[in-house]
Amino acid sequence: MLNYVIRRILATIPVMAVVALFVFSLLYIAPGDPAAVIAGDQATPADVERIRASLGLDRPFLIRFGEWVWQILHADLGTSIFTNLPVAAMIAQRIEPTLSLMAVTLVFAVSIAVPIGVVAAWRADTIIDRAIMAFAVLGFSVPVFVIGYLLAYVFALQLDWLPVQGYTPLSEGLEPWIENLILPALALGCVYIALIARTTRAAMLEVLQQDYIRTARAKGIGQPGILFVHALKNAAVPIVTVIGIGIALLIGGAVVTETVFAIPGVGRLTVDAILRRDYPVIQGVVLLFSFIYVVVNLLIDLLYTVLDPRIRY
Amino acid sequence: MDRRNFLKTAAGTVAAGLATPAISQRVAARTLRLVPHADVSNLDPIWNVAYIARNAGALVWDMLYGIDSRLQPQRQMVESEEVSADGLTWTFRLRPGLRFHDGEPVRALDVVASINRWAVRQPMGQMIKARENELVALDDRTFRWSLKKPYPKMLLALGRAGTPCCFIMPARIAATDAFRQISEQVGSGPMRFVKDEWVPGARAVFEKFAGYVPRPEPPSWFAGGKRMLVDRMEWVTMPDPATAAAALQSGEVDWWELTLPDLVPTLRKNRNVAVDISDPLGWFGFLLFNHRFPPFDDVRARRALLMAMSQQDYMQAFVGDDDKLWKPVPGFFTPDTPLYTEEGGEIFKGPRRLDAAKRLLAESGYAGQPVTCMAAQDMAHHKSWGDVTADLLKRLDIKVDFVAADWGTVVARRAQKAPPRQGGWHIYHTSFAGADCLDPTNAFLRANGNVQVNGWADSPQVEAEISAWYEAKDRDEEKAAVRRLNKAAIDNVVYAPLGFYLRHQAWHKNIAGVVQGPLPFCWGVSKTA
Repeated sequence: MLNYVIRRILATIPVMAVVALFVFSLLYIAPGDPAAVIAGDQATPADVERIRASLGLDRPFLIRFGEWVWQILHADLGTSIFTNLPVAAMIAQRIEPTLSLMAVTLVFAVSIAVPIGVVAAWRADTIIDRAIMAFAVLGFSVPVFVIGYLLAYVFALQLDWLPVQGYTPLSEGLEPWIENLILPALALGCVYIALIARTTRAAMLEVLQQDYIRTARAKGIGQPGILFVHALKNAAVPIVTVIGIGIALLIGGAVVTETVFAIPGVGRLTVDAILRRDYPVIQGVVLLFSFIYVVVNLLIDLLYTVLDPRIRY
Repeated sequence: MDRRNFLKTAAGTVAAGLATPAISQRVAARTLRLVPHADVSNLDPIWNVAYIARNAGALVWDMLYGIDSRLQPQRQMVESEEVSADGLTWTFRLRPGLRFHDGEPVRALDVVASINRWAVRQPMGQMIKARENELVALDDRTFRWSLKKPYPKMLLALGRAGTPCCFIMPARIAATDAFRQISEQVGSGPMRFVKDEWVPGARAVFEKFAGYVPRPEPPSWFAGGKRMLVDRMEWVTMPDPATAAAALQSGEVDWWELTLPDLVPTLRKNRNVAVDISDPLGWFGFLLFNHRFPPFDDVRARRALLMAMSQQDYMQAFVGDDDKLWKPVPGFFTPDTPLYTEEGGEIFKGPRRLDAAKRLLAESGYAGQPVTCMAAQDMAHHKSWGDVTADLLKRLDIKVDFVAADWGTVVARRAQKAPPRQGGWHIYHTSFAGADCLDPTNAFLRANGNVQVNGWADSPQVEAEISAWYEAKDRDEEKAAVRRLNKAAIDNVVYAPLGFYLRHQAWHKNIAGVVQGPLPFCWGVSKTA
């Protein structure tokens, strides 16, 4: 097991290297020029060239890539072209809101989606099942920003229960922290609930057909025990897998959610950086998200062994 | 009382007694929360010429002169100026007691260094530099600018509101290359930038500078006494206009600099929100041609578009049906300002002549090649104008290659001199503040063949009239030059104005003192809890 973990951690190095090369190359060939954006409308071509030179953007690809890799190896993500702040500091400023949003969404989504998925499987082909699945289809179909606007309109503007926008750090208190996150987490969680609930239902339906479930019933175990102790544990592997895959969905959804609710998170940082062609920030953020995704996948793989003792690495 | 307020009040009463809410209210009343039109991503108003850098910069840095609401440059940091009879020597004296945020006095040396940095990036500054004998500090409060040739627009140049403004910084900071960013935001303006609380993309914070010495006159735009009536300002970036509208209605922010036209009716319905015109100088929509490549290298093809286009279509596409908010402009200068003229603008007036335009286009030799038409889809106004142009081109039987990209891509592509099929372009759209179209100093009107933002327009006649305006000795001479310039620029179709429009600002009624102007002037604005 330890060998496996070490092997997987080592395997992340080439993955991250490929991501780094890919991101750097993509930005190099992508249209757009931060120097032209900075120079403004009154600038002469010579002005743009001077800015480009001052930013080091006039140098060959390989030299720039080499310097960037060297910086990364020294744990330096570089400096933002626009803000002149270290990229690491900018990410540090923004990471808490995004992680908070993802964590609250995850807890909220899993605690709703798994039970309703189980109930849908238990009551398969009944009106309850169809209602739950209809909700799941709706969750998939309605864009996050539409749900966000609706929630803000009802709960913030009409009822005045929750704030429209913003983020309060956890250090300033649990109540204001969660108050700012409820609506964004609800909006972002809808897709996630739909995904997990459907997977839970499918996995549970398969497990509920197994002989050992019939045996459990024959032994007189009650329905909750069968569903949540015997069946759910054995259906957990695909559910955990989809929760892990869904992290990517959350990262993507966070970009939109953070915009709608004006949360100063990494998602918005990414969009702003892309629109301005702030290359060091884009590279830093994509590397970070890739790293998070790789780590989450590793954790899920390790979780398999806990959930299913038959799995050995 | 709604549930949320009930819970808050109950919790506050139990936890902290009755004094806490009163303190909170006083603190809230001292903090003004503004949603600016863009993010303060950088606070070097010389290096970064975006309007947002100027707007935030106006809080932090003061200017030698400031334009007032009558569009006249007024003394600001300067106490007096003297110009020699031959117009070649200007001597300026600073007001006493001016201090930077770090406590250091503002000296003439700082001013000289600041002017030198500003002049590298500002076209009028470059012109003065080209005529300069020397710019020198005579003592701590006096500096002299001697020229080889008179420059009648000196005070306008030093006080102009267009970016970059001539902001005064400490000499050690102003010594930074104009093409590199400064690392310290130290000014002598009414507010101090709180860098520690700056979250780029989300929030910029400013605190009142106790050492600021306001002028005795009442404030008027960039001029007069810039008295801050709040202790702290938070500029909260909200990329989504719907969120900003909701936050304003719920009282989470106090002031929204620039609303989206579609949201104005909703805001007007809220009795706690006031809505007014943001800037009486308004904005222009521009359609720019690439003058280097067919078909628009031929003035007849450019004229054909002017003949056929309806500014009403462009304005309605973005601003809507309220015709008090927009007007067609047969020229290049801001309506209702001293130099406004319609000279030569007949081509914009009367019914649109599609058939005549098609004939003129054929005469120009248009051979059916695709026309690359760019519009920034991350800017609602640019995208809507792009759609109108694409439709117009199709109605003129022009094959359209419509490129909807983000603004960053448009800006990079418009700089390409390559043919349109090889990464270049034919047409793009942009907007420009009316405050920058008061006179012929903006780059879009230049026609020396070297300006990429207007597609390398080339017309000696236009250039001659711009020079005539610079050399004009009085307002009558200026007006005459601008009338000739307007006609020449329309005849040569340097670019196509798409109309003039106004936008709204909105604020919560707990603040007072908001004025109309080219930027959210924060001095004189007060807030009650």
